[in-house]
Amino acid sequence: MRKVIIKPLREFQVPVEAERISPDVFAPLSIEEIRRLEIWEGNRKVTLSDLFMISGDDEPAPPGDNEIFLYGDFSRVKRIGEKMTSGTVVVKGDVGMHAGNGMSGGEILVEGSADDWLGREMRGGKITVSGDAGEYVGAGYRGESCGMRGGEILVKGSVGDYLGEHLCGGTITVGGDAGDFPGIANRGGVIVIGGNAHLPGAEMASGTITVRGRARVLPSFQRLETVEIDGIPFDKFLGDLVDGGKGELFAASVEDGGR
Amino acid sequence: MIIEDVLCPFCGCLCDDIKVEVEGGRVVGVKRACRLGSSKILGHERIGAPMVRRDGKLFETTYDDAYDRAARILKGAKRPLLYGWCSTVCETAKKGILLAEEVGGVIDSTATVCHGPSIIGIEEKGLSGSTLGQVKNRADLIVFWGANPAEAHPRHTMRYSSNSKGMFTPEGRGGRKVIVVDVRKTRTAKNADKFILIRPGTDYEVISALRMIVKGKGDLIPETVAGVDKADLEEAAGMMKAAKFGSILFGLGMTHSRGRYKNVDNALSLVADLNGFTKFVVMAMRGHYNVAGFGQVCAWETGYPMAVDLSRGAPYFNPGETAACDLLGRREADAMMVVAADPASNFPRATVEAMAEIPVIQVDPFPNPTTFLADVVIPTAVCGIEAEGTAYRMDGLSLRMKKVVDSGLPTDEEVVENILDRVRRLADDN
Amino acid sequence: MIIEGGIVYDPINGVLGEEMDVSIEDGRVVEESQDGEKIDARGMLVMPGGVDAHAHIAGAKVNTGRIMRPEDGRRGTEARTKLLRPSTGYTVPNCYAIGYRYARLGYTTAFEAATPILEARHTHEELEEIPIVDKGALTLFGNNWEVLECVRDGDLDKLAAFLAWGLRASRGYGVKVVNPGGGEAWGYGGNVKGIDDPVPNFDVTAREIIRYLMRANEALRLPHSVHLHTNNLGKPGNYETTLATLRAVEDIASSRDRQVLHVTHMQFSAYGGTGWRDFESKAPEIADYFNRHEQFTMDMGQLIFGSATTMTADAPLEYGNARLLKAKWSNHDIELEESSGVVPLVYGRKNPINAIQWAIGLELALLTEDPWQMIMTTDHPNGGPFVNYPEVVALLMSRAKREEELATLHDLASKRSSLPSIEREMDWNDIAIVTRAGPARILGLAEKGHLGVGADGDVSIYDINPEKVDPSKEHEEVKAALAGAKYAIKGGEVVVRDGEVVAVPQGRTYWVDASVPEDAAARVKADLVEKFAKYYSIQMSNYMVQDAYVTRPRVIGAGVI
Repeated sequence: MRKVIIKPLREFQVPVEAERISPDVFAPLSIEEIRRLEIWEGNRKVTLSDLFMISGDDEPAPPGDNEIFLYGDFSRVKRIGEKMTSGTVVVKGDVGMHAGNGMSGGEILVEGSADDWLGREMRGGKITVSGDAGEYVGAGYRGESCGMRGGEILVKGSVGDYLGEHLCGGTITVGGDAGDFPGIANRGGVIVIGGNAHLPGAEMASGTITVRGRARVLPSFQRLETVEIDGIPFDKFLGDLVDGGKGELFAASVEDGGR
Repeated sequence: MIIEDVLCPFCGCLCDDIKVEVEGGRVVGVKRACRLGSSKILGHERIGAPMVRRDGKLFETTYDDAYDRAARILKGAKRPLLYGWCSTVCETAKKGILLAEEVGGVIDSTATVCHGPSIIGIEEKGLSGSTLGQVKNRADLIVFWGANPAEAHPRHTMRYSSNSKGMFTPEGRGGRKVIVVDVRKTRTAKNADKFILIRPGTDYEVISALRMIVKGKGDLIPETVAGVDKADLEEAAGMMKAAKFGSILFGLGMTHSRGRYKNVDNALSLVADLNGFTKFVVMAMRGHYNVAGFGQVCAWETGYPMAVDLSRGAPYFNPGETAACDLLGRREADAMMVVAADPASNFPRATVEAMAEIPVIQVDPFPNPTTFLADVVIPTAVCGIEAEGTAYRMDGLSLRMKKVVDSGLPTDEEVVENILDRVRRLADDN
Repeated sequence: MIIEGGIVYDPINGVLGEEMDVSIEDGRVVEESQDGEKIDARGMLVMPGGVDAHAHIAGAKVNTGRIMRPEDGRRGTEARTKLLRPSTGYTVPNCYAIGYRYARLGYTTAFEAATPILEARHTHEELEEIPIVDKGALTLFGNNWEVLECVRDGDLDKLAAFLAWGLRASRGYGVKVVNPGGGEAWGYGGNVKGIDDPVPNFDVTAREIIRYLMRANEALRLPHSVHLHTNNLGKPGNYETTLATLRAVEDIASSRDRQVLHVTHMQFSAYGGTGWRDFESKAPEIADYFNRHEQFTMDMGQLIFGSATTMTADAPLEYGNARLLKAKWSNHDIELEESSGVVPLVYGRKNPINAIQWAIGLELALLTEDPWQMIMTTDHPNGGPFVNYPEVVALLMSRAKREEELATLHDLASKRSSLPSIEREMDWNDIAIVTRAGPARILGLAEKGHLGVGADGDVSIYDINPEKVDPSKEHEEVKAALAGAKYAIKGGEVVVRDGEVVAVPQGRTYWVDASVPEDAAARVKADLVEKFAKYYSIQMSNYMVQDAYVTRPRVIGAGVI
């Protein structure tokens, strides 16, 4: 395994855009070349070594053999692991927006929390977050009809609003609560929410959403039956019927006043 | 001297039939404008001279000095935010966007606290709309949703909607039905044929229920939806489908309650559904008189209508990340320029606190709470009274604002241009 | 400057691939120039600058397209440079991208296809922001209440006076008619089913509207003819409406040395079948008609596979598109005047309808014998973005390329069109006509589209040798060469070099100022005063486009003497 270790030299206030921090980008480069990679801090174009201390194995290696360790507060560092196809990125702290944007393989492990748009437009690979994640986890870009198409996202904590908006494929698992409108406008894929959710599956055409906590369910969802999942009874709904959707929503409990 | 057909520089109605009486180079009378517009046109306290803050206090200075300081602040910033643009003309916005490009900043308008969510809704679904004259000439059903024109757009109902008379609507209010949907019984609601009280934060569910009923799937929805009786919704849906030309006009009640852009998104879908049965249009009741104009200019110049991040030289658009409240809420912006807006009054508290921590340049004719946070204050002429230029009405119609008196002050456009000029000189020096 | 030794195609002046010099002084072509820049164009193709006679590049519906498609914005993003503003967008580029991309293609003139009068100010604001190219806008008249009333009352003089007024109010160049009558019916969600279907509330038909507008257009001797988007556009079987429309106006004579009617994006109006199942091409029938009637011209409206944004004043069509495709849909009706719609979509090679549509555009161009009756367009961005023009040229010039493409498409393209059997390959002379000389003539732009003395100094030079390269076989080279001009010259200034924009002068905006007798003008004014008092939502004095919005006008006079 080729290891590269990156630590911020200082705290960031203005966000840093570091789409170059990716196993694919590092693969053919030496440590010195990695240090000279161009990144942005706000409107200032700088090199990786201007903002970070970089150390590790000098020898280039195939992307799949690259392991990048990020130590420290990366909460304002955006686009880490963007478009990666293999290899591993481990963030030993919080990570900024757009981590794993468009990735199609490899793995990102975040030991802290992740900011908004985690795994945006993901196609494959795996992202695991030990803490919480922000809004738009596994979502798409504005105006597009498909966001995440494949891969796996696991957030052990809670997430914000619009989880998996425009999901077309892949799996998103959330240990805690989701916010408003998880699984909105979905056309496939699987979402599992450990806690509560507000109006899941709005506009859903197909796919599956499971809410293990309490869900406020839209009037345009039709309750079909009770099913058992892992020995727990769930209400099964079909929706979103407003557009003839055939998505499946499973809710362990349904909020009063929601229906 | 009476000047006719003046455009009012206040709200998105952009009334263009105002009569302004000018005597001795000053505005002495206004006719036809509502109290909001009259107040602005008659004028009130102005910022007297450019000012700079030292040791917590504002001191007068020259325009040149103010331009220099502003340029230095912007050029030295890594993530400058150029905000506002709603109460000035399009010509200012053009210079503002160029300035944002050159300083590598983020430019955003007051849509961020107003109809930004509507724009995001449009990005999902599109918008089936028309000019206001179509509503006047054809609409026999008006639905105000989360909008209270009686207070926010006083002449709207008379000029364009409920009470207007047109080619196919000679009876005016008598030939129309008005439905109001809101979280409280507003003044507008008191004049409605039907009022539906909804609980705050439940617009989305109510709209979904309406859509189900409109599409003949009403059997599948529960007897009450978020506290609203199904019978009420069925009646409303019936009125909508029975209309020859219906219109939904929505306001901040929809955009700023829980669900935000999804509420608008669903309303746009409802109107698209209704077009399968009858003619229906939808419109956002834009607040400031030229927030729509900024959106238009920004879209044709950068490809996006608001929240454009130009820090890397190519426009990047992602509200939630690149909008003014996002930058301030996360304390990312290290400098801010406010042109023709008052964020200190309208923004969430945390973002106002963020403003207090960074250098702020204010370009405005009028002192307001933002002035208390500004480090450089540059007074300008009032567009539409002391300066000409283009503005876009809430329905997207562009008109030219008039100049009726001289002020001797630079226009917003000139100020932004001067700052841009200084910024370029600083760049050359490097 | 002197462009030396290029292989020049200038069909208007009968130059068909001659090696010659072209001299420009003070922005115009001159006999001979001694000083100035020398451009070595030996072994290169030289043509007048391209003229795009029909594209949707400026105005309310274009901007609606941008606003509703941030996902299009992020395609085609180019960062700013010292010289250039940033570019964004593919089907709905921002204003700067439009100018830069036309210039890179060697196009120097582009016309906005349709502007409503009430929103013309917006159109001009955008045109002003488009760098380099000269431009103009065609003004919509076909659903305007004043027009419908003049037609209903049979008042040709008043109608002509209204056209003159409307062109001045909108600073427009010509008379555009889109789905006449249907746009007004759409005010209440309806449409017209053909040219004899009465328009609700106005008791006139599309046939009458078109005839009267054409007669008024000719009475005013406008430089361009009426420019028509037919009724029933986009519907299977609509070729009958198209032919009926043409037959309905066969008797009308042109007042100038040009066509009497230009039918736009004909591909969308050349459909057979009774529904989508038996959908087929009727391009041969349309082309045959044009081959026997030289007073009509058309432009292709060629499809390009991939992303497109349809935007048109044919609002009912767009609503239909959106429902069919379950796409996002924007609509905008304009009081007393017009309506419009915008719907993004994707044209797929394996989609049988799209495949046939693709074939139809090419059929029309290749089966119409006289290239002077044909303009190459994609009805940007309805058929596809204009950056794909080199693709269309390559297809027109190479049967082999067409065969290669057909092989990748749904086989109905071959079965329901005659394209596979068409052997014709356009040559450079034809291309120079359908992309430059023809559109200039059709629009009535006397100093465009040619390189005779007095012409505007707009020249495009492509790094391809017409004497050495066989476009029929080496279509890839053709496409590549046309995608980035070696040089583009605008008004005698080099604006593109080696495919890169090197200068951004501001172009000029054409509009037509037509004169009419006082009494007719007064009668129009009286009507308008009433309409503004009762029906418009703005004051008449705030209506017309002011000088501030057209900073570099090029005014063409016309009218009743």
